[in-house]
Amino acid sequence: MTKLLLGRYVPGNSVLHRMDARAKLALSFAFIAIIFLANNWATYLILSAFTLGCVFLSRVSVRFFIAGVRPLIWLILLTVTLQIFFARGGTVYWHWGIFSLTAGGIINGIFVFCRFMLIICMSTLLTLTTPPLAIADAMESLMAPLKLLKVPVAEIALMLSIALRFVPTLMDETQKIMNAQRARGVSFSTGKIRNRIKAIIPLLVPLFVSSFERAEDLATAMEARGYRDGAHRTKYRVQQWHLVDTIAVVVFVFLTGALVWLRA
Amino acid sequence: MAAPALQDVSLRIEDGSYTAIIGHTGSGKSTLLQHFNGLLKPTSGQLTVNGVTITPATKNKELSDLRHQVGFVFQFPEAQLFEETVLKDIAFAPRNFGKSAAEAEQIARKVAAMVGLSETTLTQSPFDLSGGQMRRAAIAGILAMEPHTLILDEPTAGLDPQGRRSMMNLFARLHREYLLTIILVTHQMDDVADYADHVVVMEHGQVLQTGTPRQVFADAKWLREHHLRLPQTAAMAEQLAARGFSFDPLPLTEHELADQLVPQLQGGGRHD
Repeated sequence: MTKLLLGRYVPGNSVLHRMDARAKLALSFAFIAIIFLANNWATYLILSAFTLGCVFLSRVSVRFFIAGVRPLIWLILLTVTLQIFFARGGTVYWHWGIFSLTAGGIINGIFVFCRFMLIICMSTLLTLTTPPLAIADAMESLMAPLKLLKVPVAEIALMLSIALRFVPTLMDETQKIMNAQRARGVSFSTGKIRNRIKAIIPLLVPLFVSSFERAEDLATAMEARGYRDGAHRTKYRVQQWHLVDTIAVVVFVFLTGALVWLRA
Repeated sequence: MAAPALQDVSLRIEDGSYTAIIGHTGSGKSTLLQHFNGLLKPTSGQLTVNGVTITPATKNKELSDLRHQVGFVFQFPEAQLFEETVLKDIAFAPRNFGKSAAEAEQIARKVAAMVGLSETTLTQSPFDLSGGQMRRAAIAGILAMEPHTLILDEPTAGLDPQGRRSMMNLFARLHREYLLTIILVTHQMDDVADYADHVVVMEHGQVLQTGTPRQVFADAKWLREHHLRLPQTAAMAEQLAARGFSFDPLPLTEHELADQLVPQLQGGGRHD
């Protein structure tokens, strides 16, 4: 359960750790967009080199990235297999019914695989080098233009940070309730599948009840300290744009230019 | 690897005893408790509970039997309530341990009466009960496993003084009338003095001292060095002793204190 995407921040002091969360978030999204510009070996090579460079700069152990890929490995393999057997083009090596193995299909499969790996690596990189609350703050500032459309950006960001804040609390609570129910003879890890699914109920009901109680307490505490929505409040954590962030954006623009120039 | 939570712990809890485990937060009390009913296994060493020996190699399946012999009342046990009615919730554990629905209901009614829940509460949703009643329902849910040992992890936390007293009286009655072995973790030294016949003091994952409450509370200076307090009665006796009264043995309950104090007051026991 500790493998939850949101709780994987690895503290450090690398260039990537020091970058502004807004820059990292915006560039990560942009990166996912420009991946779709790549359509030949040269472009994928450049993107891979860029990603590996980022991974190196983050100074985070490679095993964290492998751990990030692991939960998605079946999805990746399925998609790649579909590509290999159904996409057509070029020399046909093998053919049976609707299945066919072609040069184009294999190359497509490899590209799809690369695309997955690049996206996963980049988003893992974001969550590994940025504290969750900084990501929430960054989302708030990036969504700021939506305020013009009367989207309650500050409230959405608040909900996000509260949700993030309570992930560890809820995990503790889950562990406690699991222990209490195990002491009453529930088995979460052994026995028939049917019984194991049924074992979720004595866990979820108390968890829901306590979450609602906690939420109500929190709301009361916030109101008691004068919280109102719509008040223009200042930030405790101030985000600062540094030279590194500008450099990162420039590098990124060059990367995009190179992709446009090299793509087939 | 993090430092082990418990190290070099060796102790014996007698059948039918009322043992209190004291020590401040982080001393390893809760970790120790979770070994008693097989929620945790030792990483090295072994323990024997009612003839069942647990080693690091013991399989989880073998521990299930232990779970219903040793009932564990967690801190704020009302958090474990989940069923539609109180009766169903109490019957949950016996059902898990293989009792038929009818048997489980019969046991549930019996233990509900033991903890003082009325017939009418049994058909209510556990979430409609008051805090004290919820706790009683949760404790009944543990007693329904018909354990021979009851582990209580700060069972009176969050209760008002009256609720605390009646809860502690309930455990004393279970100990006396149903001959349950009781293991109590608490910060309330008064409860230790009033109810326990054996005390285990823990610090930094180790057992610091074991003995009767009288032995453990005899050395006030030692207790303070280990950030533990005296029960109110003993603390009062200590203050009175500083003003010329004398007490032997150290009074642990209000009655003992009063019995020793009255003759000294009548006989003009003050030597100011």
